[in-house]
Parts: sequence; C-alpha cells; structure tokens
Amino acid sequence: MRLTLPIAVFLLSFFVNSPTHAQGLVDGFMRGQRKASLAVSYSQESYDSYYTGKTEIRNPNLGTVFTQSLNLYGTYGLGYDLDLIVSAPYVRTEASAGYWQKQEGFQDLSAALRWEAFDYKIGSARLSWLFAVGYSLPLQNYVIDAPVAIGHGSRNLDGRTLLHFKSGAFFLTGQLGYIRRGQVTLDRVVNYYDPDNLNPNSSSTVNVPDVIDAVIRGGVATKHFYIDGWVQQQRPYNKGTDIAPGIPFPTNAIGFTRTGISVYLPLIKKFGLNGGYSTTLNGQNSGKATRLSGGIVIGI
Amino acid sequence: MRAPSLYSTVVCLILWLGGCKEPVINEGILPLTEPATTDENGGTWRTIILRSAADITVPEPAALTSDAYQKELAEIKNGLLGVNPENNAAVNYWAVGGVHRWNQIARLLVAKYNTAPLYNAGTNTFTPSEAGNPFANPPYAARLYALLSVAQYDALVVAWKAKYQYNRPSMVRQGINSLIPALDVPSYPSEDAAVAEVSAQMLTFFFPKEADWIKAKATEHKQSRIWAGANVTSDVKAGEQLAAAVAAKVLVWARTDHFDGAGDAGNTWENAIANAPYDVKWTSLEIPARPPMLPLGGMVKTWYDSTAIAKATPGAPPATTSAAFQKALAEVRTIADSRTREQWRIADFWFDGAGTYTPPGHWNLIAEDLIRQDRQNELRAARSYALMNRAMQDAITACWDTKYKFYVPRPSQMDPAIKTVAGIPNFPSYTADHATFAASATTVLGYLFPSESASLNAQAQEATLSQLYGGIHYRFDNEEGARCGTSVGNVAVDWAAADGAK
Repeated sequence: MRLTLPIAVFLLSFFVNSPTHAQGLVDGFMRGQRKASLAVSYSQESYDSYYTGKTEIRNPNLGTVFTQSLNLYGTYGLGYDLDLIVSAPYVRTEASAGYWQKQEGFQDLSAALRWEAFDYKIGSARLSWLFAVGYSLPLQNYVIDAPVAIGHGSRNLDGRTLLHFKSGAFFLTGQLGYIRRGQVTLDRVVNYYDPDNLNPNSSSTVNVPDVIDAVIRGGVATKHFYIDGWVQQQRPYNKGTDIAPGIPFPTNAIGFTRTGISVYLPLIKKFGLNGGYSTTLNGQNSGKATRLSGGIVIGI
Repeated sequence: MRAPSLYSTVVCLILWLGGCKEPVINEGILPLTEPATTDENGGTWRTIILRSAADITVPEPAALTSDAYQKELAEIKNGLLGVNPENNAAVNYWAVGGVHRWNQIARLLVAKYNTAPLYNAGTNTFTPSEAGNPFANPPYAARLYALLSVAQYDALVVAWKAKYQYNRPSMVRQGINSLIPALDVPSYPSEDAAVAEVSAQMLTFFFPKEADWIKAKATEHKQSRIWAGANVTSDVKAGEQLAAAVAAKVLVWARTDHFDGAGDAGNTWENAIANAPYDVKWTSLEIPARPPMLPLGGMVKTWYDSTAIAKATPGAPPATTSAAFQKALAEVRTIADSRTREQWRIADFWFDGAGTYTPPGHWNLIAEDLIRQDRQNELRAARSYALMNRAMQDAITACWDTKYKFYVPRPSQMDPAIKTVAGIPNFPSYTADHATFAASATTVLGYLFPSESASLNAQAQEATLSQLYGGIHYRFDNEEGARCGTSVGNVAVDWAAADGAK
C-alpha cells in the first residue's frame, strides 16, 4: 500500500493541456529505496473556447479541439531520499471544424530526479522539503506551429522545490517551479511584426517562453483510498507573443489556472486504479479545457 | 538533515534558471561589403514610370571650391570624431543597403497589416476598414513591393544621371575615411537620401498610420550617411528633393492602376459566379461564409506589355466530371491522407499566409540574399527588385483574372475529407497563386543570376508543389499557374535585356 498511494498523484500529472505535463512532474510523496511503480493511463480533454492573450474566444473554424493521450509513467527509488521519475505520452488531437489535419504521435520524454532534502517531525506530523530537477525532450519531430498540435517541441529544464506536510491521513503539498524552455526550429522563416525587430530576415529559430509553475494540493491518503484536490497556476516568465495570424505558436506566452481532483483505489496488493477530473479557471493563449483521466497502477 | 552543499547547489541552479530573460527572435549580424560595380552609365538606363531620367531636374551643386561646400566638408570631418555609439549603430544598420532595408521594412509592414477584416455575415459587409488599415493580402503586397521598387529604381536612375553629370567627387577621393565601405561614385546627389525619401513616401501611401514611424526611419537613414562621412548635407538635400519629385509621379500611377476597385464593393462577383463557365462553382469554406478576396483583382493595370500578359493568361481547367479532374482530386486526397512530415514542412515553409509578408515577400527575401551575394550597388539592387516585383504583380493579376473567370472550387469543397496544412485561402483554386509567384520570380532571378538557376529552379519546383502537399491546390492549378508565371517572367526578362543595364 505504501508503494502505490503516491502514484495516483503522478499519474494525473501529464495530461492537462496535451503539450506539457501540467500539475508538475512530481509530487511530495517519496517512493522509497529500490521501490518502483509503473502506471498506464488514458486521458481525454477538450475545449471549445480558448484564450487569445487573456481574452476567451470561440473560433467557428476550429470548433472543439479534442485530445486523447496514453501515458506510460514509471518511478524508481534510487535511494531513500532520491527518486527517478520517467514518463512518455502518446497523444492524438483533432479539431471538429475547419479542415485542420489531425495530429498524433509520441510527444515528449520526461525524466526527473526528486530529492528529499529535509525531513522534520512536528509532533506526530511530518514536514518535508524536497527539490526536483527534470528534463524533457521531444521523442520525434512532430508539428509544432499549428492550431492543432501535440506539443511545443522544445527541450525543457525544470527546477522546483516542494513543501510536503502530512499529519495522519491528511496531507498538503505546495510546490513552486521554473521551467526553462529551449529554442525550437519552425518549418518557416519568421517575419511577424515586432517594432523592436527590424530585420524580417531573421531565421526559423525562435524562443519558447519560460514559465513559472505553482501547485497546491491537499487531500486524504489512507490504506483504502486516496483523494485530493488541487489548484495549479502557470504563468509565462518571458514576454512572449499572443495568438494571432502569422505568430508562431511556440512563441506564445502560455499560462493558466486549473483545478481538479484525483482519486486512487487500491484493488489487490500491487494493483490499483486511479482517476481524475480537471477544469480551467482562466488562461492565456491556451485552451479552456476540461479533462478526464483514468489508469492502472502497478507497484513493483 | 542533508549536506548543505547539495542544498546550496540546488538553490543556485534554481536562481540560475530564473535569472535569464530571452528575446523572442535572434538576429544574425549582416556583413558589410562594398558594391561590385559603379555603373557609370546608370543615368541612361530605361526608367519605368518616368519617360527618362531627364524628366526630373537636379540642380547644379555648389562648386568644390565654394565656401558653402568647404564648410560642409569641414563639418563632416569634425563630425566623424564625435560619432556616438547610437549613431554608429544607425550607420551600420543602413550600410547594409537602403534598398534592402526599405524592402525589409516593407515586408515587416505587410506582415503587420496582413490580417483579414472582420466580416458581418448578416449584412454581407466587412467591417469598414478605417482608412489606413489596409488588408495587406498577397495581391496587395505584390503591388506594394512593385511600386516601392519601381519608385526606388526610377529615383536612383535620376540620381545616377546627376552624379555623373556634376561629378562631385566621393568623400574617399577627398581624403575622408568614411566609417563604412562606400561605393566610389560621385557623392551628389546622395543615393541613400533618394532611396530613403522615395521609400518613405511610397510606404506612407500604403500605411498612412505608420507615417511617423516611417518618417523617423527615413530621417535616420539620411542622417546616417552624414554620420558615416559618406555624404555632405547638400548631397542629402538634393537626393531628397529629386526623390520627392519621382514619388509624386509614381503615386499618380498608384492612384490610377484600378487596384482600389479590386475589392468589388458592389459585389458584382455574385453575378459573375453565376455566369462562370465552369460546372461546379466555388463556395467559401469559412464559417460564416465570406465573399472571396479581391474579385476584381484581375483588372489591375499591368507593368509590362498587357497584350503579352493577356496571352499568358491560362485557359479553361478540366471540368469536374472529367477523368483528368477526378484524377487530380484523388491525388490531393491521397497526399492529405498520407502526408509525410517532410511534405508538411514544405507546405508550411512556402505557405506564407495571414500575418506574414506573403509569398511575394518570401521571394523578395530570397532575392535579397542573391543581390547581396552579387554585391549589387543601390541602383542595380533596385533594378533587380523592380524587375522581379513587377513580374510578380503582373503574374498575380493574370492569376486573379483566371480565378474569377472560372471560380474553380478548392479540393476540400469537392471532398471534405481532404485535410490541409494551413487555413484554406478564401478564393477560387484555379490557378495557384504560389506557383504563379514562384515561376515569375525565379524566371527573372534566373536571368539576373544565371549561376543560381539550378537552385532557383529547385526552389520554384518545391514552392509550386508545396500547396498540393498542403491540400489546397490541384496539380493542374500549379502547372497552369507556373506556366503563366514563366510567360510573364519572360516578358520581364525581355524588358531587362533592353533596359541599358548589362
């Protein structure tokens, strides 16, 4: 049981907003030395309105964008205070209106190291302070500069810190991270209007704005079930662009506030089921998406 | 508790991650080179709108020995000692070439204004675009690039004539080491001032809201030559004056070339489509449906021989019931169903849709590289751009004429299962504008830069196929568009062969 409980949380990490792992790659529960878990889950999300800048709009020539993903997720305790986390999703996305080509394929491979740096006892409660460093890169050269796309195509470096408090069955985790996104190469030369950029003869290489990511999650974790509620906010750190004709999609400044719940039910010893739901409260150059997910978790 | 050293490493890493701000676009640094030729007979080259360079009189400059000139010269010498870094940045920016820079600025403004106006389906009207908010679509852009480079070219022919008529020696010949590699041609009148003034006037005509910004650019351009020690004030003044006179004449052409009516405010296309000689008629695939772009764009006055261009205009496409059409449609569907990543890349690379400098802008970018490699001086660069841009505008006029003769549906209208790489342009399919632009531009560029013809042909082929890969054109759209573009390009080549430039 100790093995499988935390996994539920990780599982939901990957599917919000198909391009990236929302809710962060990591949570506050350590795996334990030489213990591992593997999870396979499916999620689907859709939106029929999105934010251009921070203004919500509907686009009749795009309709509803529907995204499905299948995610493989594994964790392994390298030490009692150090975990390795790996994930790889396969994503499919399509729009209901217009003539946009459906996109599907393997998206990004992510890996993270999580280190429990401090561990305090406060009476019967525990407070731990963790740090994590992650890296992700595209598994293939998928289309990135289109309204219907499975990701940004950037290589990302993710650094974050977490405070994890647990008292009896109750827990509360807060985390703050910074995701540095690398440059990407478009299929075309960029020549959009920018008063500071006088030479339209620039190149196909553009920067993807970095983001700051914060997640607060609280819930109950017992032997027989796990449930949590969370709020995640992601904000662009660099100026970035807004969705507009001719603007490369990867340079858009992306942000959102989402909230959701996750549940996990252990079935037999090493197996369990998880599920989740989330919705978008506000956003910036992203879809106002709701999503559902479910999966199987195996502790090894 | 864990080792503090590891803790501090992590903190440092996070600080490092958070400490970097990055620009949206990276720019390369452009090398400065001295032009390869001086083209002393440039003043005799055939002008386009002017009957000849003699149409504009450039006043005789003050003598070299005059006090006025000696004072100007002394100012330049003193000024060179006090050039600040900002001035220096401007000097280097414009030293790349005024013709190039203004072409780039034009592309930038086209990209900014290349946004379709809002459409009200209820009243069948577009949001009345405020004066000064034009929709810089591909035909609009083709015309803009043509008018800009025509005005630059005519002004430079006039400047060249006066240069060798009055022979005021270049600064280098008067012992002044300018900050940049300057062309050793007589300094009066300043070719840079002429290009700055004529370009600013033309671009302000297209984008009146940008007047202040454009004017600031032009002022900096003119001033940069004085900061650089390449011209004295009277050189600049004379360049500016002759350019204003040329711009006035070019603007007369621009106001009477029938482009203003191309938007078809009276919706005469609704009648025209009913009578079009094709078995299935184009309909807008947008939601809500909107009227097609520039239905009367085929009526625009041509630069080159209008009879030759009329002859190049394509004939009827195969009817939708024919085997040829069905085969062409099936090909688009097959490609759309099994589109490779490389086909997507090619379609995306050449699409140049809304919010970009458009396909003719893309060919100007390609021309810019070739002109720079060839180290062409301002006059020759303007000639190259003007030859190519006029060909592209005339070719697209012929293409638009064809589109609104037959009103051929887009592939996705005939088979909605055909998915595309980009938004489907809201105008009829036959003939393909991308192919037309590519063929007309590369025919002219192949004449101007024969050593590049293999590479140009390859680019033209790819650009032509790109929109078949993208799912928005049939192969016959491309083939007929390319054929027409090549014919118009050849008309331009005939002009170039006889304009006096070797």
